[in-house]
Amino acid sequence: MAPLEKTDLLQGTLDLLILKVVALGPVHGYGIAQRIRQISQDVLQVQQGSLYPALHRLEKRGWLAAEWGESENARQAKFYRLSAKGRRQLASEEQTWNRLAGAVGLILLAEQ
Amino acid sequence: MAWWKRGVQRDEAVDREIADHVARLTAEYIAQGMTPGEARRRASVEFGGREQVKQAVREVHLWALGEAALFQLEAAWRFLRKAPGFSLAVILTLALGIGANSAVFSAIDAIVLRPLAFPHGDELMRIYQHDAHGRDANTFVAPQRLEDWNRLATTFAGITGYYKDDLSEMSGPLPEKITEALVAPRFLTVLGVAPVLGRNFSAEEEHWGGPNAVLISYAFWQRRFHGDPEVLSRKLRISSYTIPIVGVMPRRFVYPDRDVDVWASSAPDAPFAQRRDETWFSVIGRMKPGVTVSEAAADLATVQQQLGRQYPKPDAELTTEVQPLKATVIGDIGKSLWLLYGSVSLLLLIACSNIAALLLARTAGREHEIAIRYSLGASRCSIVLQLLSEVVGLSLLGGVAGIGVAAAAAKGFHLLAEQLPRANEVHLNWAVAGYSLACAVATAVLCGLYPALRATRLGPASGLAAGSRGQVSSRNPMQWILVGVQVTLAVMLLTGAGLLLRSLNTLGHVDAGFDASHVLTLQVSGSWGETSNMPAVVQRIDRTLDGLRALPGVEAAATAAMLPGVPGKYQVEIKVDGRIDPTRRVLADVRTVSPGYLATMRIPLLAGGDCKQALNTLDVVVNRTFANLYLGGSGAVGHTLENALYSDFQMKGTIRGIAGDAREEGLNEAPMPIVYSCFSAPNPFPNYLIRTNGDPMAMADAIRKRIHTLEPSRSVYAVMPLEQHLSDAFTEDRVRTMLLTVFALSAVALACIGLYGTLSYLVRRRQREVGVRLALGAMRTQIVGRFLLQGLRVVALGCAAGIVAAAGLSRLLRGMLFGVSPLDPFTYASVAGLILAVAALACCVPAVRAAFVEPVKVLREE
Repeated sequence: MAPLEKTDLLQGTLDLLILKVVALGPVHGYGIAQRIRQISQDVLQVQQGSLYPALHRLEKRGWLAAEWGESENARQAKFYRLSAKGRRQLASEEQTWNRLAGAVGLILLAEQ
Repeated sequence: MAWWKRGVQRDEAVDREIADHVARLTAEYIAQGMTPGEARRRASVEFGGREQVKQAVREVHLWALGEAALFQLEAAWRFLRKAPGFSLAVILTLALGIGANSAVFSAIDAIVLRPLAFPHGDELMRIYQHDAHGRDANTFVAPQRLEDWNRLATTFAGITGYYKDDLSEMSGPLPEKITEALVAPRFLTVLGVAPVLGRNFSAEEEHWGGPNAVLISYAFWQRRFHGDPEVLSRKLRISSYTIPIVGVMPRRFVYPDRDVDVWASSAPDAPFAQRRDETWFSVIGRMKPGVTVSEAAADLATVQQQLGRQYPKPDAELTTEVQPLKATVIGDIGKSLWLLYGSVSLLLLIACSNIAALLLARTAGREHEIAIRYSLGASRCSIVLQLLSEVVGLSLLGGVAGIGVAAAAAKGFHLLAEQLPRANEVHLNWAVAGYSLACAVATAVLCGLYPALRATRLGPASGLAAGSRGQVSSRNPMQWILVGVQVTLAVMLLTGAGLLLRSLNTLGHVDAGFDASHVLTLQVSGSWGETSNMPAVVQRIDRTLDGLRALPGVEAAATAAMLPGVPGKYQVEIKVDGRIDPTRRVLADVRTVSPGYLATMRIPLLAGGDCKQALNTLDVVVNRTFANLYLGGSGAVGHTLENALYSDFQMKGTIRGIAGDAREEGLNEAPMPIVYSCFSAPNPFPNYLIRTNGDPMAMADAIRKRIHTLEPSRSVYAVMPLEQHLSDAFTEDRVRTMLLTVFALSAVALACIGLYGTLSYLVRRRQREVGVRLALGAMRTQIVGRFLLQGLRVVALGCAAGIVAAAGLSRLLRGMLFGVSPLDPFTYASVAGLILAVAALACCVPAVRAAFVEPVKVLREE
């Protein structure tokens, strides 16, 4: 499938995607971008210009915790992982999203 | 950590994060088969503008920071706008409270806390010598002993000393009196100060027979040479010498005191500096780093014992004392300052409780708003924070205004207390400003926390209903407790101020035993060098005295080594008729005065006659206390006295008369045994005391002119009425009393405002109740009485508590009181009376207002 345009990504969805990806295990910025692309089968491509500000915003709110650590081939990288607060936030955002998606789906399914 | 530093570190971290990202992207492309160069380029392009990413991250952080601050500021601003009168009252109260507190703090900071303005000032010590048997109060040190100490005391890096001398400098059109500090070798090295222009004395200049040289003070450089940078090529002309200027000292260097114009070296190897019983130098030493004061004192004591064995007379008779230089410079003023600081902190506490009471009243009126916030889901913590931030906003404004008050106060302090030590070092600086702001925040928390906690204590359940109609508001004892505390604190301050005022008043009306009015004092320049020909000095001074006495308008004139009533004494042990009775030592303050002194000062002669002056005999007059204590009263005339310690080179004096007791050593000192030793030239620049017919200052010009015709090459200085000297001597007492009185009156005013405000608030809240009572037939006088009683009961309790606390604390004033007991019943009664009267007045207005409630109107409003 062709990648979606940046503007197509709903406002606020990026935070949800990041939280979900990070929930799978500690990961660095590059990894997050890669995983979002891979899991969405290349539909969603995160721009670095929005990824890093978002990461810092989430960290600032206390949803993500970050620390510098060593990755493969002895590179220093900043690893993000989900905090307890972030886990709660993810749960609530997931629920909101599912309700929204469900509701939108219902409307689209409505018969004319 | 400073916020900008954190910002820089964060930027670096983001850089690393980006670099890591690009590196991984590159690695991926290489894995896909691109050449490294190609892969790197591709990765960079794909990542896009690094700076933009960094900027976006920066904004995230800035925004979070700014958002919170902005929100609170906005809330505080809304609050301010909503209640401008209340806000202004709080800001003004705090501005005064914090300002006064910061002003006193700035003085403490500059005078007591800061080290002296010398590098490693804490290593500098003042060193005294004392006569082991207390026979001589003199602590000045002979040049030879100073050099021995410097050589032998291993705990000191260097020891030096100074004494002052007055000179007439004659390179200008008129002779100018300048003050010279004659300094022992190493003076600047020990103090650790270098000239701003030129150089220190050279080794040759510190030796006898070496070249002459002076260092001049910054002020003298400006005044006399208008800051001429070529001043080092100029010379000073002093008597017959022409002395080159080798250096200019920094502006801040005013040691030993502000008067010093020039420093010259005093050579220890001079032929006239060899006697070990000379008393010349005030000695200062710099301890080696890491040495404690007690180690240095012990070391010096050992050195002195060693010198005692080497020179039994006089060194075996001497002990040494070491004191930090700072302590000796500031003297007792620290005690006054801490007292003021305590008072001003009490004042701030009163302001605090005042504001707390105001806030209690206000937040009580906001129950509704708080209930709404709760119901909208705010937590108690966030509501408390919001209420607090309003107060913090107010108190920060108050604090900033307070800095202004403190700055003005620092200026006032310079004018008021010019004479006090280090007064010129008091000014506003960052430490003081920071202190003010810290004060503001502490105040806000102190007075804002309780009302905020109280207002939110009911929690979400309080409901909107409670605030509604038809209820008599709940009693709030905390408000009354706060009022009581204010009254207590105000009573404490007022009692302190009252005691000091009474003491100062007593001091002003004390019978000094001499008459200070219509006496002009002045000095005529002279220098220690003249003492090599004493008869000439005596002749010169007597000629000047005779010339002054012949002047129309002058009733009498005399000289004295020390001014009467200005604190200072020279107590020595005395041999009566050549004998010392070891069981009964004779100690007296020896005051050298010219014949005619007693008449000039109007000290009555009780027996015998006035003394006469001759070159080879010495007459003395003793005061009544001396005669009664040591010589059985009027039989004293005819006995001979001599200095027990220096009898070998000081003359025997014969008692010619007995004078009335006078408070020569200070108006606050009870008369002690005095021996007036009759000699008009105790030093080359004695104090002249001139009794005039009218206003002494009106005669000043005529007197100056007369002295100028008699002594054209000498300058006349320190011309002022004796009463001025007496009042200057008590500057510290007066400033202290004045400030404490101002603080106390402010405290009383604040307490009254608090009382008035609280009672008014109460009356307003209970209007409905009063309306009902009136409607049911209560008398208006009953209503007034009830409210009045309620207010006055609190005041009476606070007053009683305040008096008990004041009685307990009044011993802090010991040593500052003169002629008044710390438990003076008159003062305590007056304070209680004053407080009750003022408080009654403050209560009256709201109480009477309550009685004029129109029942119909109030009840209909519901």
